[in-house]
Amino acid sequence: MLGEFEYLLLTAAAQLGEDAYGAAIRQEIEDATRGRCSIGALYTTLDRLETKGLVRTWMGDPTPQRGGRPKRMVRVTAKGVRAARDFHAAVMRASRGVSWASNRVGTQP
Amino acid sequence: MNRICWKLVDIVSRALEPGERDIVRGDFAESQQTGPQALRDVLGLVARRQMAPWHNWRPWLILAGLVVPLGLLLSLLSNHVASMNSVYSWMYFNNWDWSLLQHRAFWIVLAQTIVLVFPDILALICLSWAIGFTLGDLSRRTIPVNGVLFCLVLLFGALVAAPQYMRLQVHFMTLGFHPRNTGPDPVSSLTLYRVLFPVLVQIILVLLPSLLGMYKGARSHRLSLPLRMILWVLALGSMAVLAAMQGIWWVALVTQSRPWFHPIWQKPPWLLAIAGPVMYWLATAARKRHSGAGNPACSRL
Repeated sequence: MLGEFEYLLLTAAAQLGEDAYGAAIRQEIEDATRGRCSIGALYTTLDRLETKGLVRTWMGDPTPQRGGRPKRMVRVTAKGVRAARDFHAAVMRASRGVSWASNRVGTQP
Repeated sequence: MNRICWKLVDIVSRALEPGERDIVRGDFAESQQTGPQALRDVLGLVARRQMAPWHNWRPWLILAGLVVPLGLLLSLLSNHVASMNSVYSWMYFNNWDWSLLQHRAFWIVLAQTIVLVFPDILALICLSWAIGFTLGDLSRRTIPVNGVLFCLVLLFGALVAAPQYMRLQVHFMTLGFHPRNTGPDPVSSLTLYRVLFPVLVQIILVLLPSLLGMYKGARSHRLSLPLRMILWVLALGSMAVLAAMQGIWWVALVTQSRPWFHPIWQKPPWLLAIAGPVMYWLATAARKRHSGAGNPACSRL
């Protein structure tokens, strides 16, 4: 089972497709969560996902915009897609009927 | 402020692998982060990278089994060498008289002092280097953390553990062999020689050589495994002999066995201690010579 940050990272990478690399994924996560995503969390989670075989990473070409430095390109593997789908399905199942998922008035005080 | 932060980012990011360092610096340039933000980010990444190996049991074993006991033993040895040398330092520096140079006896005593003191100093430097090398080689990925912890253990040893241990030794020695010998001696009654001198000796003879040894050890992958293993055995063997000698010293004290109760049991095993660094020096010199001659078969010793 994925962790929630791992799921966010896989989702961001899948959405970016061919353009998925460290800084772009980070921006995507920050836009989605409206919170800050640290580089430490990003790259250590990427390493973990790669060890699990859920993503594949490689060094991209250097660009002038990055001061001639390379990117760490990311692609979600088939195993990663399955893991993200399972996580999403589990969250949907777990959320069935709760107030914040069904837009009805909640039971909280 | 921004410039200082970027300078710090440069320094801190050196702890990352070269490839990752480039990627991170590129990310900073692309996202146009400010210096403080980049510094916070790179510190976070470096901290996570340094902590990652500690999820394994090996770094904990090296910390508990080598870093702490070896640091304390080196501190103890350094404190002993400092207390021996403080008497000679006091003798020469606090009672200096230029006219002494004209006396033949002065030169004889000076030569005797050097012969007496030099082997201990050399052994301590070599032993510290060998221990640093072993730690650097055995804990390559965790060496920044282990290095800092080793320095803290040395500091604790120099300021607290070793003086307390020496006090305990003197206390039991006074009870056992010299019941009428009371009161502090003129050298150790001076704060300079009691507190500052042992710390200085530890910095110069232990801390600097062991940090140099760690640096070399962390880059020792170019040396062959058998040679590195010989260096580990020599370093750890020297410390085991030292620990055993301390044990013998205490047994001799408790049993009042005078023939065994001798200051030699407090001295570093200097032949064992210098063997490691000498072997390393010979091996690297031979390696340089072979690689200089362009013989690829000899590029690994």
